[in-house]
Amino acid sequence: MKKDSTLYVVLFTFVVCAAFVVVLAAANQVTKERVQDNAEYAAQVAVLKAFGLADSATAKDEVERLYSSSVTELPGEKKTYKASIDGATYFAIEQTGAGLWGNITAVVAADARGERLRGIEILSQIETPGLGGRIDESWFKEQFRGEKLGPNGITFTQDGTGKGDPDKENSRADGITGASRTSDFIGRIINAAVAELKKTGGAQ
Amino acid sequence: MKGQTAKIMKDGLWTNNPIFVQVLGICSTLAVTNNMKNTLIMVAGVTFATALGSSTLSAMKDWIPRKVRMIVQVLVLSFYVILIDIALRAYLPEVSKQLGPYVGLIITNCILMGRAEGFAAANKPWPSFVDGIANGLGYGVVLFAISIVREFLGFGSLLGFKVTPESFVPWTIMIMAPSAFFLVALALWGAKTWNAKADAKRKAAPPAGAKPAAAAATPAGAK
Repeated sequence: MKKDSTLYVVLFTFVVCAAFVVVLAAANQVTKERVQDNAEYAAQVAVLKAFGLADSATAKDEVERLYSSSVTELPGEKKTYKASIDGATYFAIEQTGAGLWGNITAVVAADARGERLRGIEILSQIETPGLGGRIDESWFKEQFRGEKLGPNGITFTQDGTGKGDPDKENSRADGITGASRTSDFIGRIINAAVAELKKTGGAQ
Repeated sequence: MKGQTAKIMKDGLWTNNPIFVQVLGICSTLAVTNNMKNTLIMVAGVTFATALGSSTLSAMKDWIPRKVRMIVQVLVLSFYVILIDIALRAYLPEVSKQLGPYVGLIITNCILMGRAEGFAAANKPWPSFVDGIANGLGYGVVLFAISIVREFLGFGSLLGFKVTPESFVPWTIMIMAPSAFFLVALALWGAKTWNAKADAKRKAAPPAGAKPAAAAATPAGAK
């Protein structure tokens, strides 16, 4: 068959595409369970971090033990969690919202009445690396730990130091330089999550 | 064979460096060089995908019809990139999370297509593999140099470790894309000037004898 004949071109393209796609599909199938386990584990770590029960250094079996002993998964459409820490009850929710390039999913934890944040953790994001992607850095996330929630929820300040806003009573956080939009999106996600948590907390 | 491998390595690293001479892969240079860790990950991904993609395409080249040449190149290159992505998600979930959008960015790197088209289409699999490694490393050396400057001035750290005193005011511009533009331009300017001088020296030297070869070896040696 001539290499430039239409039949050859069509057959060749078909066979090559099929071959490579089959290999990819097989690789995907083989690793599927592992990927799912990884995702589940990542979600558990995120919930524990949002509750302030674990940090990045916590070992894997410790995470599993802590999760099963102190976190309760609540029924409902959205993934919500409950934990009792030092006698107080806290709630957390997995909240997805728009980001600059794609969805941002975060776990947001707050007290039962939605008056104070317990903490936040980013589960997935595809913001610009080095700019919006810095929402996953600890200085950014730690500003929300124990932050008081005002009537307008969390707002961002433009004239921060770039090291995080240390004041826990002003309901304000330091935005990321060069990523004001991403900071705003995080604010929206937190405020939407808190609104949901207030409902959950009220019902419980 | 050994001489050829050495020549391909030298071409990729200096004489035909993807950034300095071919001016390929500039888009990712702007995106990832604001910190060193991202740069290293990107370089590893590009080197791996270019080397394997080029050698596979080279092995297939006698059967590829010219009309669909580029489609097949894109198919094979994206195949390797997706394979990297799957492997990372399954076995190194932490790295995979940090990489985020970078894995996808590898496909858009012009070096992959450039080397598939410019080298693998006319060479055997092994030299194509070496060429992929050499170009990946040549790209890496330049990116790494730029990322050192950008991370140091932009964050005051190197590889994530703080190396500047508290009083240091980070240059925010260095984190953003424009700074990569002028740093790449400065680096290009320096490399071109160096090469132009080496060329002039070679021309000035008498054509016969060992001298021209010695002059040609200077840039790589000095690097």
